[in-house]
Amino acid sequence: MKATKKKAVAVLSTLALVTGLLAGCGSDEGQAAEGGVQNVSIAIAQVGDVPSKGNEIQQKIEAYTNTKLDIQWIPASAYNDKINVMIASSDMPKIVKVQYNPTVTSAMRNDVFWEVGPLLKDYKNLSAQNERFFDNIKVEGKIYGVPVFSDIARATVIYRKDWFEKLNLKVPTTPDEWYETIKTLATSDPDGDGQDNTFGLMLFKKYNEDQYSFTTRLGVSFGAPNKWKVEEDGSFTPEFMTPEYMQVLDLLKRLYDEKLLNQDFAVFDSTEAEKKYDSGVVGIRVGVAQNGKSQQERLSKNNPDGVVDIAGLLGPNGDRVAGQTGNSGILAFPKSTVKSEEELKNLLSFLDKLMDPEMATLLMRGMEDKHYTKVGEDQVEMSDFDAFQREVKPYRDNLPYVEGYNVPKLKDTELGEKGTALAKELAEHAVPNPALTLYSPTYGDRGADLDQVIADAQTKYIMGKIDQSGWEKEIENWGNAGGNKIREEYAEDYKKQAQ
Amino acid sequence: MQQDKTWGNRIFDFVNHGLLLLIGIVTVIPFIYILAVSFTSPHEVAKGGFILFPKEFSLAAYRYIFSTDTLIRSLGVSVYITVIGTFINLLFTSLMAYPLSRRYLRGRQPILLGVLFTMLFSGGMIPTYFVVKSLHLTDTLWSLMLPTAISAFNLIVLKNFFQAIPDELEDAAKIDGCNDVSVLFRIVLPLSMPAMATFSLFYAVAHWNSFFSAVIYINDSEKWPVQVWLREIVILAQSRIGDTSIEETEIQPLTIRMAVIVFSTIPIMLVYPFLQKHFAKGVMLGSVKG
Repeated sequence: MKATKKKAVAVLSTLALVTGLLAGCGSDEGQAAEGGVQNVSIAIAQVGDVPSKGNEIQQKIEAYTNTKLDIQWIPASAYNDKINVMIASSDMPKIVKVQYNPTVTSAMRNDVFWEVGPLLKDYKNLSAQNERFFDNIKVEGKIYGVPVFSDIARATVIYRKDWFEKLNLKVPTTPDEWYETIKTLATSDPDGDGQDNTFGLMLFKKYNEDQYSFTTRLGVSFGAPNKWKVEEDGSFTPEFMTPEYMQVLDLLKRLYDEKLLNQDFAVFDSTEAEKKYDSGVVGIRVGVAQNGKSQQERLSKNNPDGVVDIAGLLGPNGDRVAGQTGNSGILAFPKSTVKSEEELKNLLSFLDKLMDPEMATLLMRGMEDKHYTKVGEDQVEMSDFDAFQREVKPYRDNLPYVEGYNVPKLKDTELGEKGTALAKELAEHAVPNPALTLYSPTYGDRGADLDQVIADAQTKYIMGKIDQSGWEKEIENWGNAGGNKIREEYAEDYKKQAQ
Repeated sequence: MQQDKTWGNRIFDFVNHGLLLLIGIVTVIPFIYILAVSFTSPHEVAKGGFILFPKEFSLAAYRYIFSTDTLIRSLGVSVYITVIGTFINLLFTSLMAYPLSRRYLRGRQPILLGVLFTMLFSGGMIPTYFVVKSLHLTDTLWSLMLPTAISAFNLIVLKNFFQAIPDELEDAAKIDGCNDVSVLFRIVLPLSMPAMATFSLFYAVAHWNSFFSAVIYINDSEKWPVQVWLREIVILAQSRIGDTSIEETEIQPLTIRMAVIVFSTIPIMLVYPFLQKHFAKGVMLGSVKG
């Protein structure tokens, strides 16, 4: 009998253990608006630290917009997976920051999110922004959210002014000039230490991928299309089948063959390349306009005499720069949580209010006397930039703002101000990617793989592993593997949207 | 009686020791590098070069990462899910492995096939999320421990280990008045300490390194384990050069990244020496005579 009793005890204790485990998991999701204060739950990307709950910045935003914010920070390392899970499970807050990618656009097509296009005109700040921002997030001609604005065109040449002056160089524009400049920088010992230790250009892996692609930016300045070219007859040609883009590849191949380019670029990490630029052994790079200033700061730490300058990457005619999406995400409103159009309007007016002068100043400059100080009529200076980066940037990077709109001017270094001005100027010469908002089911399914195939082929071509005929064969493979289908689908959708 | 070694022997020993030493150094150097960089001043690191000993000693990186309580709190979360999670793993894995190891259990084969099936096919991320969500586990630390309570692979290996324990031991225990549960806890588990140590290490390291499920299941950043932060700080730094600017992403200096790695690696490394003594062989030597 003893044995059975023991058995019973064992079974019971196991049961108790299991129920104990399950009991600890209740949660409630009660939400109620009190006294006209609107509850806004929002899922956005984590930027550095997660600000503590109820911090000053958030309090200020809540007070001004009369809302109660419930922010869910999503780490960048699994951002898209998390968003996919959220969309699939309809488990979303009222505002979700999404990226314009196949999963999201197909969700938009399937009515997961509210269409906001027709409503936008009622919001003074949102409607005041360049239409290009909104065109770039259209899905079948409709707008399903508010973009988190960013510069539309930002490719610039960042170079060592002191070296250029010493060697009597000017900023290159044509392929030949680029070759000569890089060669001179690499071989004439611009730092004057008698050693052959300088580079003209530093290439790194992923140099030809995404909208940040170095080859696309350079190619566009030479006259290549931005990713896709629409031919006269409405057909689509990818950039790498155009002669202008080949000029970039041939330039890199020539540099590689003559050992003027780091030979390990195919596996070279971008952070390592960044370090080389910071330590002052490389002469020229392509980067974001505002990068010039930070490059100067980091260089100065290692080399106080180094001088950095920037110039638009505009090509021989000075009028072509690769356009980008103009947003760092889209704030979308899921139908599963935003129940009525009334509520949608309230959320839109919340975002619109964030661009009022008071809020715009808070998001872009921080708080007076804490992050910035006034230095004149309508001009301020950052006084504690590190605190700004930690406390304000997480909000700013996720919410709509436009530098220069409803915000006092920033007193900056000469290079910093030049960068801001240049970014504005570049936008006027932006060459857009015509396929940006076109729909291709094949690209949605296999686009990433196909992009990789052709990116790898470019690397092989530069390194001389394949020759001209090998390269043409790779393009053919790409076409047969789905590339041709993408071209057709883009052309078809383009025709449909033009009507 | 020490015999004189032949020349061949000596050369062999020499080469052998040399080679092992080399492998040892190659293994240890990355750790030393990380440790050294984390204690070096950012200025020194920016100059480049390979650092094995900090020339300019600095605690700036550590001061920075401890300036908020985020990392310490998340370390607490990690320790919690590692300790409790591993306990749950070992308990449930052995509770299932032991019956399956007994040949007289009816229906053993179908159950084993079922286990095997989960090794080859899984529900996928989104269905799994639905299960976790409908059990109300989302946003709790249980979501990091219960869905992975039993690893099919570990279960099968442990089952095989249990099978190697002679049936006679079980018979003897039963004759002495043990029931099935006490056979498991009093006889089988104590005899399986090397296996338990091994699996607790497997499980503990898996819990310690888990970050993806935390991001998917847990919305409240205060409940994230340290790996989420580590990934955020280290991986984000790998972003594209073309657009990494102060306007775009904030890259943490190398020293801070290394300090975070040190901070999140040391605790789990400290576990190894304590488990190592259980890896001793021959626990069962001579338990069955005849």
